[in-house]
Amino acid sequence: MAVLEYLANGLVFSSIIILASIGLSLVYSIARFANFAHGDTLTVGAYGAFVGFALIGDVGPTVLGLPGGFYIAVAVGAAVAAVVAVVTQRLVYDALEIGAIGLLITSIGVAFVYRALVILGFGTGSLRYAVPAQRPIPALVPIGIRITTQEVAIVVVALVLVVGLHLLLRYTLLGRMMRATADNADLAQVTGIRTAQITRWTWVIGAGLAGVGGVFLGLYNQVEPRMGFNILLVVFAAVILGGIGSVYGAMIGGFLIGMIDQLTPLLGDLGIPIGTEYSYAIAFVIMVLVLLVRPTGIAGGDPG
Amino acid sequence: MSARAARAFATASAAERRVIAVLGVVGLLLIIGLLAGGIGPAYLLYLLGLSGMYILLAVGLNVQWGYAGLINFSVAAFFGLGAYGTAMLTASNTPLGVSLSPLVGLLVGILLAAVVAVLIAVPTLRLRADYLAIASLGLAEVIRIVIQNQRGLTNGNAGLRGLPLFYGEWPLIGGLVDRLPTVLIHEVSLGPVTLLGLRLGRSVWVGTFNLLIATALIAVVYLVVRRLHRSPWGRLLRTIRADEDLARALGKRTYRRKMEAFVLGSVIMAIAGVYYAHLNLFVTPQNLAPINTFYVWVAVILGGAGSNRGAVFGGFMIIAIREGTRFLGDLLPATITVGVDLIDTTYATVAANFAATRLLAVGLLIILVIRLRPEGLLPPEAELIWPAAQEEADG
Repeated sequence: MAVLEYLANGLVFSSIIILASIGLSLVYSIARFANFAHGDTLTVGAYGAFVGFALIGDVGPTVLGLPGGFYIAVAVGAAVAAVVAVVTQRLVYDALEIGAIGLLITSIGVAFVYRALVILGFGTGSLRYAVPAQRPIPALVPIGIRITTQEVAIVVVALVLVVGLHLLLRYTLLGRMMRATADNADLAQVTGIRTAQITRWTWVIGAGLAGVGGVFLGLYNQVEPRMGFNILLVVFAAVILGGIGSVYGAMIGGFLIGMIDQLTPLLGDLGIPIGTEYSYAIAFVIMVLVLLVRPTGIAGGDPG
Repeated sequence: MSARAARAFATASAAERRVIAVLGVVGLLLIIGLLAGGIGPAYLLYLLGLSGMYILLAVGLNVQWGYAGLINFSVAAFFGLGAYGTAMLTASNTPLGVSLSPLVGLLVGILLAAVVAVLIAVPTLRLRADYLAIASLGLAEVIRIVIQNQRGLTNGNAGLRGLPLFYGEWPLIGGLVDRLPTVLIHEVSLGPVTLLGLRLGRSVWVGTFNLLIATALIAVVYLVVRRLHRSPWGRLLRTIRADEDLARALGKRTYRRKMEAFVLGSVIMAIAGVYYAHLNLFVTPQNLAPINTFYVWVAVILGGAGSNRGAVFGGFMIIAIREGTRFLGDLLPATITVGVDLIDTTYATVAANFAATRLLAVGLLIILVIRLRPEGLLPPEAELIWPAAQEEADG
């Protein structure tokens, strides 16, 4: 059954898209603009982890096919992405007194700067993390699923982070303040919430998750300067499908878009002449259709 | 004429003078480069022709973003439709197996872009501005992916090559480029400096005619859009950009007007694509990459949204940035030896990937212009006023 294989791949790819989507949606919910530099934030995270892993090396026990040092490198990648995002927010976005469209265009400039610096530092070629190569888990091969333990690790870590974010948003003071600020920044400020601080935390969490998504994207495919920008529109598709500005919507949208992307071969199997080379195109068309029919997406109530 | 030019310079604003100064410096550098042999005449003409393409693209985007406030991130797609529209009919390796005149190609390219523009505009123009940005970028990618994969029409990633020159079959000048003689301009030695020593052959004549075509296209397009910009149609578009609800409250059919601006701008982009295809004589799906869209955006933002002159200036500056960074990169030594390993290797990587400084320059330019001068270097001022009205006011 090829379908099981596609679904398994979909689960892995979805995990990456979900991590990226949450960040994009979080930032939108608070900064109120479509951040075109978000894709390149993934790239920054991936390269940050690359450097981190090269410095840390193979330390610690191997968990799910990945050395302990790699998990630390994932954290390093997230931290690098978060720091870069916060610095950008302070230096660039905060200094602008301009509407959402101006911020959107500025974020394209920011994306170019990130990518140019990555290329200047690492070249245009692709890199791979120095983790042991993997074979598909033997127990699953007979039922037609070829998935490595490292890919399982991607899903598990993404799941942990998503659950963690859910707990943070629902049950901590910071989470409540973040939700309040996203809902109505003025009202939040009147009640004594330091919205500037909350905004910064939102950038940290959003970019950090994007950084993790970038590392996993690099682990799943490879690390190269355009990896983030190439996936940005897919992430936008996920966020819009879920409802832009909604974290839970981003999770649903990311899951669906990731699945749809990996299920594209099914069309060919069913005799519909649309090949996998059109998988991104399908996601983009879905995005435009959602914008037309239900711009608020699945979960969104606030059209902004 | 020169008196008028002098008067124009005397009445120019500070911003205009700065722009004239920048253009003067770039022009002077180019002339020095040409005389000193740093840049070949054929390549210089090719670059000027290429900046003609960016100027057309910027003028087209200016109609959409500058006049009507439409965030179109599918510039490269319409450019590509124009380029492929003509290349599929005229290239020597076209899978369609035809060999038509570039003029047919121009018409088909324009038609293709107009139809696709309507198809894209119908759903997306009702969207909020930032959704339009995302949706248009997404649809542009769909077009790029289709062109990349429909090998039966477009030859896929291999691209279409062997296009004829745009004027190749025209009477008189068609065969002229092959018949014009090769002119040698002998070297002149001024003390230690050797100047000139140019060989003006076929490629120079081809470049000259291409540049003439570009100039003619820009002139026609520019006059048309300037006339439209000053017309009631242009005024209405400016109102829509400022406050669409107001325009609608005044009983204006804003959706129709936005649609017209979108299609007009897209057609101008397609003309730029057709021109490029017959300039470069080779097109690939890479020409539709989103980065090309953003180059044109930089041109319009730099020049000033809504400003036709600004768009022309911005289009020219893109080539100046592109070639300037390339020139600097060629000047840099590939390696240096400081003794510190980290610095040496970092330098080597930076020097080897110096092309990325172009991306860096473009990115920083976007940020800095929006931060320091969001209205652009040449915002529309007097150009919205009819010259006759200006003279009346001057007495």
